[in-house]
Amino acid sequence: MIDGGVVIDFHGHVGRWDTVGMVDDPETMLRAMDRVGIDRSCVFDIFHPDGTRGNDRTARFVAQHPERFIGFAYVSPLMADRVVPELERAVDDLGFRAIKLYPPYTPYPLDDPIWDPVFEFANERGLAVLSHTDTSRESQPMLLAQAAQRFPRARFVAGHSGNIEPARAQAIAAARRYPNFYLETCSTYRSPGVIEELVREAGADRVLFGSDTPLMDPRAQIGKIITAELTDAEKRMVLGGNATGLLGL
Amino acid sequence: MKFSARVPVFDANVGVGHRHDRPAPFESPTDLLKEMDRHGVERALIYHVQGESISSIDANKALTQWLEDDRLSPQWVLGTDDDSLGQLRDLRADGRLNCVRLHDAGGSVPLVDWVYGESFDWLSSEGIPLWISLVDAATKEVVEMLRPFPDLDVALLGAHYVHASLVRGILRTLPRARLELSRYEVLGGAEALVREFGAHRLLYGSYYPRYAMGPMLYYLHQLDFTEMELAAVCAGNLQDLLGTGEGKLD
Repeated sequence: MIDGGVVIDFHGHVGRWDTVGMVDDPETMLRAMDRVGIDRSCVFDIFHPDGTRGNDRTARFVAQHPERFIGFAYVSPLMADRVVPELERAVDDLGFRAIKLYPPYTPYPLDDPIWDPVFEFANERGLAVLSHTDTSRESQPMLLAQAAQRFPRARFVAGHSGNIEPARAQAIAAARRYPNFYLETCSTYRSPGVIEELVREAGADRVLFGSDTPLMDPRAQIGKIITAELTDAEKRMVLGGNATGLLGL
Repeated sequence: MKFSARVPVFDANVGVGHRHDRPAPFESPTDLLKEMDRHGVERALIYHVQGESISSIDANKALTQWLEDDRLSPQWVLGTDDDSLGQLRDLRADGRLNCVRLHDAGGSVPLVDWVYGESFDWLSSEGIPLWISLVDAATKEVVEMLRPFPDLDVALLGAHYVHASLVRGILRTLPRARLELSRYEVLGGAEALVREFGAHRLLYGSYYPRYAMGPMLYYLHQLDFTEMELAAVCAGNLQDLLGTGEGKLD
């Protein structure tokens, strides 16, 4: 906690990615979280298109510290017939609380109908869908916004808030237009004033702190929020208040 | 939920002026100093961003307008134009140059001996440290270019997680290289580098205004560094590199 406010990191990974130094050692991750007051981190494994292998790995990871980590389900349209059964298993059996999508590992833009079963599932269950967003053809925030319009009971979170312009502007526009569209903050592009812009344009109730741990150190990413020119009340919402509501914690 | 540095801070990497494609969020030394004050940054080493890819000659001329306050120290840009080295030699002769940076090496001009060799020879012989961006040049080119200059002190800028597998090899291969940390946020990465190489190999730089000034400074304050290590990374190592410090931290 920071100053009595709960802190939830909405964007974290399970798995190893050796070339970029990503290692999912829970003790190292917890040490960093503890240092800056992060209560819980949301984690998922995006490296296995079947979903099952990565989700099982996520479940084992979370089980080591269930009070500190929250599992998200990962599925991929590369193995489309497995998407819905795996989501049912991950949510109903493994207890995962949201869905993670990573379009860059597929050839499918987010407006391709192949993603619809995921969105329908989230809509039926009222779940959050965290999707990677950036400027690429597959991952543009405006495509995720179309899903937000079509599936109003699901909540859509633009991972990285589009990362850079012009995708960031798309993400902000989507959050302004659709009440079920949120912006998540992790990015190594730390342009001055970005966090302030997200809060000013979309509202503090629509911005979620995320770090990309352990790809990036959450101590650096939370520094973007702490050092931003926001009120303490706004920081509390971004750091954990909004995520608490979104995940039903 | 406020933060301000608890040790003296000398930012090793701040750009001033407007880039041709990216206006800066400040237009005067006063505005820059205000941002520094907000985070507890005492001093900054500044270069003019027109030198990143347009003209080092013009950038260095424009930089002189930013130097009235002694909290802002100049860093001059080495370019590819034939006149560039002459300009730098004149600044050195005037006693105004104690470090240089090279930017767009990986763009249209390769980072090779037959382009930069004479300049690097001069820097090395004069004991002038060189800042060079890992963002703009291929890492292999940087290392191969620097290897024949074992006496040249170097600050490597902007290492990212894509460099995570390379950083330790670079620091082993280039024993006089320091890593500037504006973008190096591999989980536990900076602490591991201190354990292996010592805090004297790291520098705090924000790369402001390309990146926000506060987050990485906040980050450094949350690492498992001793106060001496933190002070060295935040200011002492840069002072040593510029020849204004009080001795290196082993």
